[in-house]
Amino acid sequence: MKFHWFAEVTYPHLPPDFRERYRSAWVTPPAHLIDPVKVGETYRMFIRLMQIADQVGFDGLTVNEHHQTVIAMTPSPNLLAASLATSTKNAAITIVGNSLALYNPPTRIAEEYAYIDCLSGGRLAAGFVLGTPMDSVFAYGMPPIEVRARFEEARQLILRAWSEPEPFIFNGKYNKLRYVNIWPRPIQKRIPIWVPGGGGSIETWDLVNQHDYCYGHLSFSGLYSSKPLVDAFWEYIDKKGGNLNPHRMAFTQIICLANTEAEAEKNYYEAVRYFHRNSAPGNFGNPPGYTTIRSLKASANQVSIGRNKLTPEDRIRASRGEMSFWEYDDKGYIIAGPPQRVRQRLRELITDLRIGQLIATPHMGNLAEEIAAENTRMFGYEVAPYLRDLWADQPDYWTPEASQKLVAANAPTARTDAGSRSTPSFEAKQAGK
Amino acid sequence: MKMTREKLGALEVRVWSGGSGAPLLYLHGFEQHPGDASFLNRLARHREVRAPEHPGFGESTALEENYDVIDVALHYRRLIESWRSAPVDVVGHSLGGMFAAELAAISPHLVRKLVLVDAYGLWLDDHPLPDPFALSPRDLERAKWCDPAKAPTPEPSAFEANGNAEALAIFRAQNLGTATKFMWPIPDRGLSRRLPYVKAPTLIVHGEADGLIPTGYADAFARSISEARVAIIRNAGHLPMVEAEDQFLAAVDQFLS
Repeated sequence: MKFHWFAEVTYPHLPPDFRERYRSAWVTPPAHLIDPVKVGETYRMFIRLMQIADQVGFDGLTVNEHHQTVIAMTPSPNLLAASLATSTKNAAITIVGNSLALYNPPTRIAEEYAYIDCLSGGRLAAGFVLGTPMDSVFAYGMPPIEVRARFEEARQLILRAWSEPEPFIFNGKYNKLRYVNIWPRPIQKRIPIWVPGGGGSIETWDLVNQHDYCYGHLSFSGLYSSKPLVDAFWEYIDKKGGNLNPHRMAFTQIICLANTEAEAEKNYYEAVRYFHRNSAPGNFGNPPGYTTIRSLKASANQVSIGRNKLTPEDRIRASRGEMSFWEYDDKGYIIAGPPQRVRQRLRELITDLRIGQLIATPHMGNLAEEIAAENTRMFGYEVAPYLRDLWADQPDYWTPEASQKLVAANAPTARTDAGSRSTPSFEAKQAGK
Repeated sequence: MKMTREKLGALEVRVWSGGSGAPLLYLHGFEQHPGDASFLNRLARHREVRAPEHPGFGESTALEENYDVIDVALHYRRLIESWRSAPVDVVGHSLGGMFAAELAAISPHLVRKLVLVDAYGLWLDDHPLPDPFALSPRDLERAKWCDPAKAPTPEPSAFEANGNAEALAIFRAQNLGTATKFMWPIPDRGLSRRLPYVKAPTLIVHGEADGLIPTGYADAFARSISEARVAIIRNAGHLPMVEAEDQFLAAVDQFLS
């Protein structure tokens, strides 16, 4: 069982009426709302939080790519990843991922990923994504119907660029390159590849099944929203005779740890609401052509299966910030409370969805740094070690070997009694290294 | 009109056809084929009308994935050649207008007269077009129709769904998805460079209240085509053949006869 630290790098100073006034948090939010100095502070805070995550035993530090949005100000996740490569020591750097269709030529991604793998000592997990519609087709202007074909061609080009020993010619439909010979090459001979989705595209399932990639269901709506799609994924893989190892499935979950339930509500409620209220995609979420007809037909069926636990009305209320804190928890959007409760609920989630890579999200919205830091520490010391037994019998080929060894040697372990943190000196020891 | 499926090259094309007389090719707009629409039937009273569904729309098979607008024009060249009645009159609406103009530019010998109806294909920086793929359904209705309150419901071109909302959603996703190939993010695939090659006498028909393509675009088309004139249809938006059928047919009949 692996635990990755992740949060959307959200702008934390939006006006309270942002949602009502601007309709979309993506593509067209006015840039004047954002103070670049405060953006810089936010970036530095995220680097500090991920350094703590590295010190308290997280298996991976996860970054992603989004464009033109207040909710995730990481247009190039590779820049953040490069900062982490030199300021952290153990954890994998899981980039989930680069939007392959958007780079011309896509060898740029092969180069930057190789650079990060070299700089981090072979700790890169390389994500290949289509990008959300807001990113790929609205912000970057790619015709929706071309995204998947361009993604596929770029994927093949990047893999060859990493592995071909000699310069080669690539005559693709979209990319014509006479001399492909990237420098540097990655340290890892077999870089773990993650192809997270969230929309349940069957074409993506076929791809990860065929190449044994790590899939990921990246959403912030939790168990009930995701279960129909995740179950359908595993059924599909099973039917195709594919690899059912849970480590090839990643899942995001917002975590709100505190000493008591009352403290959790006090510390996190405003930030949870801020995150959900300010992430609406407006009219940019579902352009025609982005999802194939085959997947549209399949997903119409899956969505209706989940409705008994999470109604369409629930989803609307959640997105408007209208749920109570414990409703968010009850409906799966967050997992909150003292460590023992969080452990138990995560154990159920992980087992129910068959997840081997939990992408825990200890920061959300406008959460204060000290609360996110404590959330991260509590997760590292008081949650993760107690769930390490899950899937322990299954090998993990989707986290880099180098980081697996480093984390295994340095991460906190579970206590046998009910006392304080298992290895209180661990963090100090790591920081002093 | 009779609906048939025909082989054309490697593709299967769904075609509505009817009438006899002078041949007329009708190319539909970006949303969908109008099916057995009243205006097509009336056009076919004195003509042989063929109205194919574009590749990748509805039940016509799609072209290979990295095709462009020239491949579509060549597809229609092949269709006219297979008809053995060239030259033919070509009426193209909306996205079909872009295809019709490209066809007339690269195969002038096949096009007798050209009618462009609220056509896409040009871009004027001073008059940016709204993004039809990002409009809410309500805003799209407002942009499309002169008077949304009087718009036909269901739209005659929603024939495919038979009242089934899910089938209609999938039909639209298929069609609009294909349209993004030519219209996303800006419906300019270089037609302005090729319009001067159009030889056919051309009528530019444009709904006065088209909120998707303002009438300034009709003038821009007319300026680039050597023998062109503009007919503005009053009380009509992006679909004058539906919203002001009589006026539309009068203008087209007069020009073609």
